[in-house]
Amino acid sequence: MNSLDPRVNRLPSVGQPGQAEPKAPLDQFGTFEVFVQPKEGKPFQHEGAVHAPNLEMAFVLAKEAFTRRFQCVSLYVADTRHVFVSPMTEGNITVFDFIHDTPEQPGAKLSYEIFMLSKRGKQHVHVGSVMARTPNEAMSEAKRELQTDKVVYNIWAIRTDDIRFTKPEEQELWMTLPEKKFRDASNYKGGDKLKEFLERSQS
Amino acid sequence: MYGGGNTFEGIKTDSLAQEDPEKLAEFEARIERGEKIEPTDWMPQLYRKQLIRMIEQHAHSEIIGALPEGTWITRAPGFKRKLALMAKVQDEVGHAQLLYSAAETLGKSREQMITDLITGKSKYSNIFNYPAFTWADSCFISWLVDAGAIVNQLANAKGSYGPYCRALERICAEESFHLKYGHHCVIYLATGTQKQRDMFQEALNRWWAPMMHFFGPSDKISAHTEVLMKWKVKMATNDDMRNQFLDMYVPKIRELGFIIPDPKLKKNQETGRWEYTEPDWEEFKRVINGDGPCNKERLEVRRIAEERGRWVREALKTPRTAYVTPLA
Repeated sequence: MNSLDPRVNRLPSVGQPGQAEPKAPLDQFGTFEVFVQPKEGKPFQHEGAVHAPNLEMAFVLAKEAFTRRFQCVSLYVADTRHVFVSPMTEGNITVFDFIHDTPEQPGAKLSYEIFMLSKRGKQHVHVGSVMARTPNEAMSEAKRELQTDKVVYNIWAIRTDDIRFTKPEEQELWMTLPEKKFRDASNYKGGDKLKEFLERSQS
Repeated sequence: MYGGGNTFEGIKTDSLAQEDPEKLAEFEARIERGEKIEPTDWMPQLYRKQLIRMIEQHAHSEIIGALPEGTWITRAPGFKRKLALMAKVQDEVGHAQLLYSAAETLGKSREQMITDLITGKSKYSNIFNYPAFTWADSCFISWLVDAGAIVNQLANAKGSYGPYCRALERICAEESFHLKYGHHCVIYLATGTQKQRDMFQEALNRWWAPMMHFFGPSDKISAHTEVLMKWKVKMATNDDMRNQFLDMYVPKIRELGFIIPDPKLKKNQETGRWEYTEPDWEEFKRVINGDGPCNKERLEVRRIAEERGRWVREALKTPRTAYVTPLA
């Protein structure tokens, strides 16, 4: 290639120019859902998904994709396959109308994190944890323990053990964010220079 | 950065006849009420298809758009500019990831989208098929191409598809630094030496035509806008967005003493619309179909990057990985 970019000119020749191989299934790995806590005391909120080969890499990539710009104190990730999803409702119909009590089952209860969608078009927000033996039971426990007067359109339940949380020592990942002024629009003030130029050109 | 000049496949409205009329009416009523459509909601095939196409083109434009600016990272004038440009290019690639995820919720895998990009099947914003000869070209992109993209994205953020709107809200918030940074760079060139002023004027001369192409063909020749606007896939016509851009930025460019290379450019005070030399839509078509100055280089760089990263992805792949569509 004869590029203006010296780095492009240095690229090694790989494969046949102009002939791309179709990507194999899962070449881009599976997806993981990302939840971010913007400030202490605020709930975690779903922000989107990343592709990653495993939970640890998902955490690293989520940090880059979702928290490199704006204030954040913690984030967590979970494999999309481990998110149990209720039906979706609309209008004034709350999803709790479709969640029924589950029969008592044997076995130990595990902790599940519960996320609710209270406004269509917005994100799921973490509302609390429940103890349950199955995801269905977690949904009915959420109905029993976490339901309020608000209409809820959709619920997600994730087993707490399936979540990769931020470790206490990792919280310093975001401590330098406020120092990165070069990513801040207010760092690019050209008003004085422009005013001086305009005054000079008018005189 | 860069959602502009999307090309939509010709719409065969008779395909709507195959949809369940009751569900279609409910779907349209929901959009009319201003509610968002979510991935699990019923939607017409045509809506899904056009959204995938639009979001995917937008994602590709972010990835490819990082290339002409990336060219100038190593040669940016000074540490501060280098730092800012690196952060900006990183943002653009991050935006692509957000957008690929939004498109995935509609059922097209990221593998397929990347394959379609590097094989030339999918399109991206035409403007990135032009070269950034000098630092001033990079400044033009940062300020004015981003400005055009923001006009487009702010409109689309009010659209009907939830995951796309949420991605755009985040993208627009991040873009504010890009726009200010780009304007700052241009102010420094404008108020610098004569050589710096000339350099930006030359960049403006080179980029004005692609910038006018950026918003896509004129409404007079752009078909299938009506149904896309009814479904809030497209929130403003190409000409409206072009007009809004001209309204906002022509005064700012002229304020800096630069001459826009279009003698016919003026605002009609009666209609409130800008009049300009009709962009060369034949060139637009030629470039978007692969015959621009940088099309081959852009795709080749992406293809080589994919090839060189293959062994890393293979090494990291675990046998238990299984693909599931992202949730929202």
